[in-house]
Amino acid sequence: MSAEKTMKLNLKIWRQKNADSNGSIEDFQLDGVSTDMSFLEMLDVLNEQLISAGREPIAFDHDCREGVCGCCGAVVNGQVHGPDEETTLCQLHMRRFHDGDTIQIEPWRSRAFPVIKDLIVDRTAFERIQQAGGFVSVSTGSAPDANTISIPTRDAEKAFDFAECIGCGGCVAACPNGAAMLFTAAKVAQLVTLPQGKLERSSRVLTMVERMDAEGFGDCTNHYECSAACPKGVPIEAIAVMNREYLRATFLSPEGA
Amino acid sequence: MLRWIYRFLNSSIGRKALMASTGLLLIGFLIAHLAGNLSLYKGEGVFDEYAHFLGGLEILPLAEFLLALLFVAHITMAILTTLENRGARPVKYAVAASHGKKTVSSTTMFISGLVVLIFLGKHLWDFRLHKEAFEKAPAEVVQTALSNPLTAMVYILGAIALGFHLFHAFASAFQTLGVNHPKYTPALTWLGRVLAVILALGFASFPLIFWLSQGGAH
Amino acid sequence: MSSNSPILDPKCPGGDIETRWDRHRFAMKQVNPANKRKFHIIVVGTGLAGGSAAASLAELGYRVTSLCIQDSPRRAHSIAAQGGINAAKNYPNDGDSVFRLFYDTIKGGDYRARESNVYRLAQVSNNIIDQATAQGVPFAREYGGHLANRSFGGAQVSRTFYARGATGQQLLLGAYAAMNRQIQAGRIDMRCRREMLELVVVDGVARGVIVRNLITGAYERYAGDAVLLCTGGYGNAFYLSTNAKNSNVTASWRAYKRGAFFANPCYTQIHPTCIPVSGDHQSKLTLMSESLRNDGRVWVPKAAEDKRPASQIPEEDRDYYLERRYPAFGNLVPRDVASRAAKERCDAGFGVGSSSMAVYLDFADAIDRDGEDAVRAKYGNLFHMYQKITDENPYESPMRIFPAVHYTMGGLWVDYNLESTIPGLFVLGEANFSDHGANRLGASALMQGLSDGYFVIPYTVCGHLAGRHLQPVTTQHEAFAEAESEARSQTEKLLAVGGSRSVDSFHRELGLTLWDDCGMARSEKGLKHAIGKIAELRAAFWNDVRVLGEEKDLNQSLEKAGRVADFLEFAEVLVKDALNRTESCGGHFRLESQTEEGEAKRDDENFSYAAAWEYQGTGQDAVLHKEPLAFEYVQLAQRSYK
Repeated sequence: MSAEKTMKLNLKIWRQKNADSNGSIEDFQLDGVSTDMSFLEMLDVLNEQLISAGREPIAFDHDCREGVCGCCGAVVNGQVHGPDEETTLCQLHMRRFHDGDTIQIEPWRSRAFPVIKDLIVDRTAFERIQQAGGFVSVSTGSAPDANTISIPTRDAEKAFDFAECIGCGGCVAACPNGAAMLFTAAKVAQLVTLPQGKLERSSRVLTMVERMDAEGFGDCTNHYECSAACPKGVPIEAIAVMNREYLRATFLSPEGA
Repeated sequence: MLRWIYRFLNSSIGRKALMASTGLLLIGFLIAHLAGNLSLYKGEGVFDEYAHFLGGLEILPLAEFLLALLFVAHITMAILTTLENRGARPVKYAVAASHGKKTVSSTTMFISGLVVLIFLGKHLWDFRLHKEAFEKAPAEVVQTALSNPLTAMVYILGAIALGFHLFHAFASAFQTLGVNHPKYTPALTWLGRVLAVILALGFASFPLIFWLSQGGAH
Repeated sequence: MSSNSPILDPKCPGGDIETRWDRHRFAMKQVNPANKRKFHIIVVGTGLAGGSAAASLAELGYRVTSLCIQDSPRRAHSIAAQGGINAAKNYPNDGDSVFRLFYDTIKGGDYRARESNVYRLAQVSNNIIDQATAQGVPFAREYGGHLANRSFGGAQVSRTFYARGATGQQLLLGAYAAMNRQIQAGRIDMRCRREMLELVVVDGVARGVIVRNLITGAYERYAGDAVLLCTGGYGNAFYLSTNAKNSNVTASWRAYKRGAFFANPCYTQIHPTCIPVSGDHQSKLTLMSESLRNDGRVWVPKAAEDKRPASQIPEEDRDYYLERRYPAFGNLVPRDVASRAAKERCDAGFGVGSSSMAVYLDFADAIDRDGEDAVRAKYGNLFHMYQKITDENPYESPMRIFPAVHYTMGGLWVDYNLESTIPGLFVLGEANFSDHGANRLGASALMQGLSDGYFVIPYTVCGHLAGRHLQPVTTQHEAFAEAESEARSQTEKLLAVGGSRSVDSFHRELGLTLWDDCGMARSEKGLKHAIGKIAELRAAFWNDVRVLGEEKDLNQSLEKAGRVADFLEFAEVLVKDALNRTESCGGHFRLESQTEEGEAKRDDENFSYAAAWEYQGTGQDAVLHKEPLAFEYVQLAQRSYK
């Protein structure tokens, strides 16, 4: 058991009033940060301090604080969701830092994710990508008994690996090109791995990629930073699957005409 | 009817697939090119024979045209992708760090490609466009050109840039074309890296040797 | 008060329970397919209930407006459910049936749920699994390719379907995908980052909502023919809970103030295996799946204030109190019993860890018996999460756990149609009160949310739309203006206080009061103390809260302030409901109502009813309405786990 300690930190945090204004990095000193705190709890403490000083607290998205809703996220000292592997910002703990550290906190940076305020960005581009085809067209009530579809364990597990994406946007933020390939591919790959999703595989990949491209994300050049930064470890294989599906749909399917 | 081609070439994946497939074909060309060049080490006569054989081929103009097309397609896609990517992050991060996956090679593809392109211009001038190139025996042309330390340096730099480029390119092309398999991908990654080193060393060996042997003559 | 309170009619069909839902659906008026597009339905919340309802209604042809507080419908807190979803498929051939699921749910709820609803829930449970599978939800599979089941929460049969430790996430993403299909088709108008602040009632019928656009701060009006509240539970009244930070009671509370009754607010589920509080900075609690108790042994030192590290406490100095008190069930007693027993030990001074508010959950025996690898295969991800949060290795030293607020069985009162006491206002999922009684069984929350959204509301909303002759209403109606000015005035009031204390400081204090006096154990004295304390806190809040920033802007302090203001009002009803219920039931131990052995004692004679509270205006006591609970199919019995 590591004993709780407290530390003093220098924080450099991006502040921006709204989408139309210019932001800048502001400096804050924070004392008495417990090593047991989560990163967001550290920000809570800072905000309490700001409020008592009459300054507006730092706005940041967060909700479940257990690493699954995908709300939170920031770039910490240049690293998406901070230094830990497979960890969301809310699951990052202050024991990863040391007394006297300077911590730089920035929002996701992407043309497709404009900053709304401080660390909050607009991720609705992700919504539009999902709406473009991230589903199986089955209406309520029309499903057959679940066991009429047999799925090998390895396929179910594989599909789960892709399906674990929480839509946080960390992949885009981490990609040197600002590409949204891993996010889009996670859904394409999940659904094409399962028999339920195979019927619409061609139209799905064509429309989702088209939407993704229209949103202003960059193009993938296989740096693989996305998967390394992904708090759920969505495998890079997803992107290969999507590439393959896209080529297949373009050259071999009627939908590609 | 051609709408799909337009769509394909306008899509991020389509462009990259074209870049990857032309890239792989160009790697194929490089391997053949190096193999041919290696005949220099068998003696000047062998190299001259090989060069004349190539020069005498009837389909050479067509092959050259196709090769040029590969380059043009590859470079066009690279420029489009790079421009797109430059625009995708208007505000840069204040601190540059990562989760450790990107490499010097993967982040400098455009630069290494550009260096290779510049080198290619010089290379074509030296051996294909320059008038003197047709007046002497091929092996002699090579020898003369590479004996110039400046030219040799450019050729060595070109080979190093090519190595850097291919270090990322080979395996990356397979990923882009949808080939990713737990069994084969690690092997492809290493094959690509080994290939990059072999091609870079292979091509660099000529200027190195000519330069050094010439230096030894002094 | 209770003797002359009016009786509530849940409008359940009578007769044979197996055919009630069929007969009810047949008797209900239908909306002609061509007419469906003329009706506009507003769905608030996009969790399992709201997401599945919005998608299903849009598929039928209704025009749907869907509102959610997060930046995406996919982020609703259903996403955090770990364990699984129950269904009476009986795939493992171990004797499950619709009736057994129904029976277990009624009994697990300590006989405080409505039989008709629970039976229907068990009936449609199987359709949910079919639907989710067809959507591409990657449920766990057996090697033969068929769906896998596991036993969960002490159930006698294996009826829980799961997708690793993220069943809620996968089911929610299934509903989200179904919504996306309808958004793309133009049948759902999805509005994110909107918080509902008022319900609009026109001529006694719910006809719209007022929301605040959380980015611009603008108030927006939405009018429709029915309003569905799918806004989750109120566990965050306790400040520390396993709920998401944005989960709140505001939508329900504002509906309550417009005339919807609030039922059984004192029924809150306290989950026994959560990671304990580590300090004042704690912002939320993290659940560790209940499945851990299958292999872990719970203990505390035999001597009070024994501060030795666990490894230095020899076997003879350890008290495996669950095994001691409940030899038949041991560590596998239901959630409520396990939670209460942990609290009892800690209150008596036997707690462990720096706060002394924790007990050990020890895997040493399991590791000795099965090997570390076997334990890792079963619980690896949970152990990993524990280590990440606490920096302790549970393979080497026992976990420290403590109960935490997890789910709320209480909610807005609804009838068999899921309609509240305001016509046209339907309440689904955790936001309503109907199916879990005084204690929810593991893996039943997901089932209920999806049952309400996919398979109940698409039918029952017809009764309202076709049966009542609704006049067209637009957002220009004066009721919208009135509701909007109500919402606006509260916001302005909050910004005008200009005090010295942050919103969170009040919230923490409220939470502590509720936890101490209205948590697992309650007494008249404590509850009365809480009522006084809440009133003080509310007064202090309106005098001294400091909310910075502007109204017409993204302002998270302001959002929180509005929610805490409502929690401060709601908490009083919660505590008064607890005060009224002088029996022990579910996880709610009323000190005045216990057996000689110190176990919870239900009082069926006096409390076999759902308590529904009606708002009477500021400063007035709410009026209690009772819905008597009749048990025709399940025999009432005192639960015993000795």
